[in-house]
Amino acid sequence: MKTLKINKLILLLIGLVVFNSCVEDDDFDTPNTAVEEPVLTGDILQIAALAGELAQEQGNGSVDYTDEETTFSYTFNENDLFMEGYVVSSDEGGNFFEEIIIQDNFENPTIGIKLLIDVNPLFVRYEPGRKVYIKLNGLSVGITNGVLTLGALNGNEVDKIPSASENDVIFRSAEVQTLVPMPLAFADFADDKTNLFVQLQDVQFNRNIVGENALTYASEPSDEFDGERTLESCAASSSVIFSTSTFADFKGLTLPAGRGNINAILSKDFFGEVFNINVNTPEDVNLTGTDRCDPDFLECTGASGGGAAIFEEDFEGFGTYATEGWDNINISGTSTDWFISSFSGNFYSRISAFSSGNTEADVWLVTPAINMDGTTGEELSFDIQANFDNGTNLSAWVSTDYAGDPTTATWTILDATIPVGPASTFGNFETVGPINISCVDGDMVIGFLYEGSDPSATTRYHLDNVIVTGN
Amino acid sequence: MKKSFLLFLFGIAFSLSSFAQQTTIKGSVLDGTTGEPIPDVTITIEETGQTQKTDAKGEFSFTQNVPLGEQVLKIEKVGYVTKRYPIIVNEGQTVDISGMTLDFDTSDKKDLFIISISDDNLNSEDDGITDNISGLLQASRDVFLSAAAFDFSATFFRPRGLDNANGKVLINGVEMNKQFNGRPQWGNWGGLNDVQRNQEFSMGVSANDYTFGDLAGTNNIIMRASKYRRGGRVSYASANRSYQGRVMASYSSGLLEGGWSYSVLGSRRFGEEGFRDGTLYDANSFFVAVEKQINDKHSLNFTGIYAQNRRGRSTAITEEVFNLKGREYNPFWGIQNGEQRNSRMREIEEPILMLNHYWDISSKVRLNTNVAYQFGEIANTRIDNGGTRLVTINGENAYLGGARNPDPTYYQNLPSFFLQDANPTAYDFQQAYLAEQAFINDGQWDWNALYEGNATLRAQGGNSLYVVQADVVKDQQLTFNSILDAELADNIRLNAAVNYRKLKSENFARVEDLLGGTGYLDVDFFAEEDDNSTISDEVAANLAQSDVNNPNRIAREGDRYKYNYEINADVASAFAQAQFKYNKVDFYLGANVSQTSYQRTGIYENGFFQGGGNDGSFGDSDKLDFTNYGVKGGFTYKVTGKHLIDVNASYFTKAPPIRNIFSNARQSNAKVIGLESEKIQSVDASYIFRSPKVKARVTGFYAGFQDGSDIGFYFTEDLAGLGVDSGDAFVQEILTNIERRHVGVEVGIEAQVTPTIKLKGAASVGQYTFQNNPNLYLTSVDFQNRSDIGTEVTFGDGTTQLDGYHVAGGPERAFQIGFEYRDPDFWNIGITSNFFSNAYIDVSNLARSANFTSDFDGNTFNDYDPDEARDLLRQEQFDDYMLINIIGGKSWKINDYFVGFFATINNVLNEDYVTGGFEQSRLANFRRMREDQSRANGPVFGPRYFFGNGTTYYLNVYVRF
Repeated sequence: MKTLKINKLILLLIGLVVFNSCVEDDDFDTPNTAVEEPVLTGDILQIAALAGELAQEQGNGSVDYTDEETTFSYTFNENDLFMEGYVVSSDEGGNFFEEIIIQDNFENPTIGIKLLIDVNPLFVRYEPGRKVYIKLNGLSVGITNGVLTLGALNGNEVDKIPSASENDVIFRSAEVQTLVPMPLAFADFADDKTNLFVQLQDVQFNRNIVGENALTYASEPSDEFDGERTLESCAASSSVIFSTSTFADFKGLTLPAGRGNINAILSKDFFGEVFNINVNTPEDVNLTGTDRCDPDFLECTGASGGGAAIFEEDFEGFGTYATEGWDNINISGTSTDWFISSFSGNFYSRISAFSSGNTEADVWLVTPAINMDGTTGEELSFDIQANFDNGTNLSAWVSTDYAGDPTTATWTILDATIPVGPASTFGNFETVGPINISCVDGDMVIGFLYEGSDPSATTRYHLDNVIVTGN
Repeated sequence: MKKSFLLFLFGIAFSLSSFAQQTTIKGSVLDGTTGEPIPDVTITIEETGQTQKTDAKGEFSFTQNVPLGEQVLKIEKVGYVTKRYPIIVNEGQTVDISGMTLDFDTSDKKDLFIISISDDNLNSEDDGITDNISGLLQASRDVFLSAAAFDFSATFFRPRGLDNANGKVLINGVEMNKQFNGRPQWGNWGGLNDVQRNQEFSMGVSANDYTFGDLAGTNNIIMRASKYRRGGRVSYASANRSYQGRVMASYSSGLLEGGWSYSVLGSRRFGEEGFRDGTLYDANSFFVAVEKQINDKHSLNFTGIYAQNRRGRSTAITEEVFNLKGREYNPFWGIQNGEQRNSRMREIEEPILMLNHYWDISSKVRLNTNVAYQFGEIANTRIDNGGTRLVTINGENAYLGGARNPDPTYYQNLPSFFLQDANPTAYDFQQAYLAEQAFINDGQWDWNALYEGNATLRAQGGNSLYVVQADVVKDQQLTFNSILDAELADNIRLNAAVNYRKLKSENFARVEDLLGGTGYLDVDFFAEEDDNSTISDEVAANLAQSDVNNPNRIAREGDRYKYNYEINADVASAFAQAQFKYNKVDFYLGANVSQTSYQRTGIYENGFFQGGGNDGSFGDSDKLDFTNYGVKGGFTYKVTGKHLIDVNASYFTKAPPIRNIFSNARQSNAKVIGLESEKIQSVDASYIFRSPKVKARVTGFYAGFQDGSDIGFYFTEDLAGLGVDSGDAFVQEILTNIERRHVGVEVGIEAQVTPTIKLKGAASVGQYTFQNNPNLYLTSVDFQNRSDIGTEVTFGDGTTQLDGYHVAGGPERAFQIGFEYRDPDFWNIGITSNFFSNAYIDVSNLARSANFTSDFDGNTFNDYDPDEARDLLRQEQFDDYMLINIIGGKSWKINDYFVGFFATINNVLNEDYVTGGFEQSRLANFRRMREDQSRANGPVFGPRYFFGNGTTYYLNVYVRF
């Protein structure tokens, strides 16, 4: 054995094991993630001031929300300027993408703005209720998609702030508030209320899209980009479009059938024309009330079906509505009307308020009188093709005292589920019914009411094969 | 000539004595410094090629067919400087040359092989491109292979185009190649250089005493306590290639009284980063071997190896990234609290324990029986950015959250993404400029942002959005084998072995770090029911579950999640070989048979593959059996002592490794369709010349492979025939029926110009190509529940048109010239110049299938242009490059101690070069590729390249006693 003792060697080996310097182990301390109040050196503006600058640039006293051409830019030359506000949107559920909606206060807001930024996800830093400061130098304000928008100038429109600039533009305050949604009735929807966190009270989804044939938020085969669903107010008989992105994580959930409140952000559709309701998460849709406010349908409880046609209209070889005994009446006094149209040799009645410029277009199409006394167990069916659907705005009614003026007749709505068609193309004919109308006696008419409004309610309907059977 | 021989003589003592009519050469070999006998030294009579090995006392003898006259004995052992002794043999007399000495090889080149190997392999992606085979060759004394092992190893050069899985590594006769991919996991015995000097290498399929072997050769590392020379060694190494420092100490007892011997080693390798940024190195290795010589016939050895290794990984980058950040760039790390943290760590901890019994049944028959047990895990980490929160509304679940990939090289962070339009606007240029500046100035992981995100969610009661995920393979493997070596006659030897291996491999993902969060919701964020699905609502509701039996489970740190399954593998094999040695010709014949069976057992029931059996994911899959066999044979014809002809041929089949058995083992039991054992045939023929001054070898080789298979994983866009906007999917690409041909010539020549100067040259010119159009199909959860397509998607005739393409895997041509100067004063220096060319990119298989020509409706693109297509699909050939390496060292003897150092400088000229690369399959059709490749500001999804190291050094200082 050599002079070097084994003991020494063992010591050396132990030394090696202990020798553990130089290299990071894998136990890393959690970094300090507490938000520190930023120190801002510059004036702090309110969102309203930005809107004012834009209005002035547009040459108006107030913002013109249709003017998507004019922008106002904050230059780098002036002193640092900041805008403050509270985040109301969240991209956690994927319904917002690369944008943050900011309003001027966490409660009782008066104005909101959409900040475009090429960053995803945003909710991990700018969660709802978080107060933020936006450094305005180099940014531009303008109208995009019909709402007030802040971002980087791309040509003559406001576009996304580059992701690399995120930390130079957005400064988080340590302040996080609980947002108080502002109650807002459908009738009070206005351009200057967009980008606000609002509460829609006592609302429900249209009866045709919940219940047995319920739709999802946005994962129907016909949904492209967004799923647009008709939301009705129980307080006033009006409806709005509830829109959900097809990229939303909750797009596959079934629309709730109940009635209640929704906390949402008021926005516009892609074209900046129609008010849209967007939610951050489905948890903001609190439609849990069981008593829906659907109209009172005609409810016939007697037996029906199995009869032969006592009235049938397929619009083939059809003359005019007048010559065939039908009434086609726009009670709003505007130009939208039903008319006979055809495709591939099939004739049908057609209507749409699209591009009509008519903000009101309530149009009745009324059948000739049908006598119900000679038969029993009568049923009604008809075919509907819904196209370029932006919400259901057709309904079917029955009257026994119709005398040529739809506004004076007594109408009872029929339980007709109007099909929902694709948003940007043609749908297919689907048969509605048969609907039990056996409890109607005497001379009756069937009325199809189209409640159009350009551009928010312009779904194009084709009506065909109106059939009443009886035994 | 004889003078130069004489200069090789050190302390030679030989005497002649007469011995009853028999001509005999006998002698013994001693360590030149310690005077201890050296066992296992190979003694070769150069003219006839007869070899003997020294026994435990360092003695040997030749008694049969001893050639007469002037002869040269070659004495060699790994780790020692080879010597050649001239002798004169007279008929009927005994030549006794006891006391020949061998000197320890101070150049320590062997050390370097192990370094470059285990380093490169530890860093590899297991993709078949980045792995390095040279470790296998380190024990070879062949002039060509030694160039390949040392100077060619810095790039991805592979002798004969062969992959690591084509070579076998044995420790004490026990095969160490992994059943998972067929490759040796070098990290399992990294850092043990001092105790791995005893290696036996057999080239190609040539005769091997332990196993049937494989095309690239077999290397048996002998780690038996009694086989180590007595003494110790302490060394320190400094380098900038992979680790920055290494300390190692070892001591071996040699044979002690009572028949005991032992050997121990401890080493540590460490570094904050290697040549590439952020590649942390943290490895500790321990080794112990104890052997008891029970009596003359029996000896029992225990060897234990614990080599733990933790490394920060790096990756291939696109040309755009390279241009912005350079070849040292590594996107995987970022700063956390002022310290580098790598998001992709690889940790290997798989100790090996073995018992070896050596039984000399008679002087001619030996039986070696081994039992080995290996256990532990390999874990690879990555950032999981799919954390979500469960929202339940009226019994329906939605998962809110998920985040964009936070990788700094994510394509949307790079300038090319913003400039992809034909006419970028000022705004686009602004975006691109900001992105470029941000990438140049930072371009690393933002750990703080991940913690910040999780902290925000935590305040809201949410789960972690980001976590560190580890993909873990946890193995337990028991191997038993028995190896017989019998001298049936003086010139006939029989080798035989039986082997049995049983592997239980647990595969799962584990939450390694919640990054400040409280838990991770174990669902697949990307799971989505397809519009065309026909599945029931109940099944659809569970699609996102990684385990439908434990839905919506919150995983904490250390918990398994995402996937969890076992693979059980059983392999039984038998091998026999006979070696015949005659005056003019030596030849051998060998054969083996094996039976391999695999079974997957799903522990999780995946939402997309609910139920059991072959279509499901839960419980046992079908049992897959493969029966394989092989035959080989070869001869060496000795034209004269100087001129030899050597020929080897083989035909064998190989069971596919575990990784190619199941199309997506993480999610289902589905086995690969059309999977066959690979068939291999090979032949090589060499002319070998050896004179006292010149050694040379020229070999022509051929190897054919049929029925190969491979599986790849990637995200791709716009698959053909899947409809508008529904052709994007994360897919598994399964390739079967792959035929390859490897042909070429390799040359090695070495000339001892003066006793101190040696010139050497090596060259390899090969062509490694696909010989057919393999079958290709894709699977994906995105196809799983669609009613309009099958679960396996194919294109056109179901093949990919690879015929004629080069198999990627390093340069097909390599040339070396070099010289070595070895001063009698114990110092040496060597320089080599190495030239490489004809390396090819790994092509996208999908882009060579009919998917390339087809639109979303399955019809050919109406603007398809075959000429343009040919340009798009041409296989990229990388630029040629030259690497100059310098090696040198010196040693001193101080009392009983030897002190020395050696150093190498690789790539002295700091050449920039690409060692390999692959095309991305994201855009794999004519229109999308044409669009991407014609972008004025560079492609968004260009190929990714591995760049070679710049100038690196390695310096080792040691003390030996």
